[in-house]
Amino acid sequence: MTGNPGMRRTRRLARLATAALVVIIFLLPVLYAVMIAFEKPAHFLTSPLTPPFPPAAGNFGQAWSGADLGRQLVNTIIYSVTSAALSTILGLLIAFPLARRLVRRAPALYTAFGIGLFLPLAIIPLFVEARSLGLYNNLIGYILLHVEPGLPLAVVLLTAFVTSIPAELDEAAWMDGAGYLGYLMRVVVPLTRPALLISFLYALLGTWNDIIGPVVLLANPDLFPVTRGIYNFYGANQSQWTLLAAAIVIASLPVVALFAVSQRQLIRAAVAGSVKG
Amino acid sequence: MILGGAEETRRPDRAGARLRPAPRAARPRPARLLSRSSRLSMWAGLLTGLAVYALFGLVPAIGNLLVSVTDYTALPGVPTSFTGLANYKALATTQSPGFMSGLIATVVFVTGVTIVQNALALALAHRLRDDSRTAALLRVLVFLPIVLGVTIVGLIWILIFDPQQGPAASLFGALGVHSAFFGASGWAMPLVIGVQIWQNAGFSTLVFIGGLKAIPPDIYEAASIDGIGAWRRLRQITVPLLAPSVTVNVVLALVGSFTTYNLIYVLTDGLYGTQTLGMLAFNAAFGSAEADLGYGAAVSVVLFVMTLIVALPLMAWLRHRERRLTG
Repeated sequence: MTGNPGMRRTRRLARLATAALVVIIFLLPVLYAVMIAFEKPAHFLTSPLTPPFPPAAGNFGQAWSGADLGRQLVNTIIYSVTSAALSTILGLLIAFPLARRLVRRAPALYTAFGIGLFLPLAIIPLFVEARSLGLYNNLIGYILLHVEPGLPLAVVLLTAFVTSIPAELDEAAWMDGAGYLGYLMRVVVPLTRPALLISFLYALLGTWNDIIGPVVLLANPDLFPVTRGIYNFYGANQSQWTLLAAAIVIASLPVVALFAVSQRQLIRAAVAGSVKG
Repeated sequence: MILGGAEETRRPDRAGARLRPAPRAARPRPARLLSRSSRLSMWAGLLTGLAVYALFGLVPAIGNLLVSVTDYTALPGVPTSFTGLANYKALATTQSPGFMSGLIATVVFVTGVTIVQNALALALAHRLRDDSRTAALLRVLVFLPIVLGVTIVGLIWILIFDPQQGPAASLFGALGVHSAFFGASGWAMPLVIGVQIWQNAGFSTLVFIGGLKAIPPDIYEAASIDGIGAWRRLRQITVPLLAPSVTVNVVLALVGSFTTYNLIYVLTDGLYGTQTLGMLAFNAAFGSAEADLGYGAAVSVVLFVMTLIVALPLMAWLRHRERRLTG
């Protein structure tokens, strides 16, 4: 990896070029939207490409009230946190007996969940089912319908993790009379924490960013999550980009903040090749 | 998609085989150690999970078949009847426009996304794999679109390609090119493909980085010492040892682009030549007042079968390629 000074300089230039290219392709579009959010409408109409001086924050207040973003963000948080938590807990309750083969046909059941990673989301039958089970257009139903998509990944990941815990540990605890759920809580949960976290985060992102689900499964605007809310806001305010960009920024802030604290886990999981996008 | 998991879960099998003389002895016994109430809670948890999976995962997956042989509309007061293969016949005839153009749009979309996304991801992975802080930061950037989600990503790109005010319009305008971009046939599809790639390239990149990192560096060192050039190192070390990641990424991008339509929904709603079959199924069912869920379900079934027909042989071929390359 050494080489003469000329080669080293070429290499450094190449590295710089890569960095610049990635920033231009992946960050600049996002920054552009942030910039527009700080522009006054008149400024945007006359010179949309120049940064605003001084930046105006008025768009944010207008977008917040105009798009009902507060309520929608609360809805989104309730939907995604609850469904991701349920899906992670159920994932562990399925994965543990399967990994330990406490039941017959554990490998076959495991395969069934593996297949689930490739099942397409069949939104039409899901809609029919939601209607006939009374899960259409209500909070509980919407959460329940979003538990399943996170399950296959949780089961597959957690099975791998549980397998790495020595089985002697459960046998010893159970012979001492430890209860099943108590054992899971006190021993298995701490030992599988990374897998639990990854399952939870990916399930949360899936529900948080879902747009087809809220379009098909909800009708009452009070129940809309922020994805559908902001999409409708776009439909109603087309070309009012300063307002829309402010709404985009507000709507993405929570999930970007979450990403800022969890990026290491999310990215490491993807690098390990262990998760589906 | 797990890579190591299947391997690891099979391990207790082998361990069990070593401990017990008869590996297929009816069932392992550790459950016996649990008290009756503990066994009850184990079953309650497992069965609840299975029920959720069956009810909201498997039933809908099979449900498409059932809905596709009806004329269900979900409209109040409209009766539903069994129509046999009528929806499938409608697909094959010109009676229902959209299927042929949908098929073409799907082929273009899938081909474009699968090839370009993987090529771009491979290039990015090659540049962003090292342990430097810059590389780590750039990896965060390429992953950002996945976190932002399709709605935000879609709106950001609609803003950038706004025909009046967007920076893309200024850029193309300077070259004398004017277009409605997402609102123009001929432009919409390439742009939709581009945004789809932008949205998902980060994930493929990270999978490739995982693959590159799994190659032991001493192989390269040994090859360098033996005087093997960069090109031969690439062909004889990197390409073969990266084959498993190629399989994962190609299959994921292919199956994903066959079935996904959420980004297309946000960007164009299937207009201007971007109505892939997934988008068509959605729009037939939910896109207009005359909700035709049966037809939409039939399109979904055909799409699913098509995906399998393309993905399964491709997977087999990629696996075969892995074995051939690694010897």
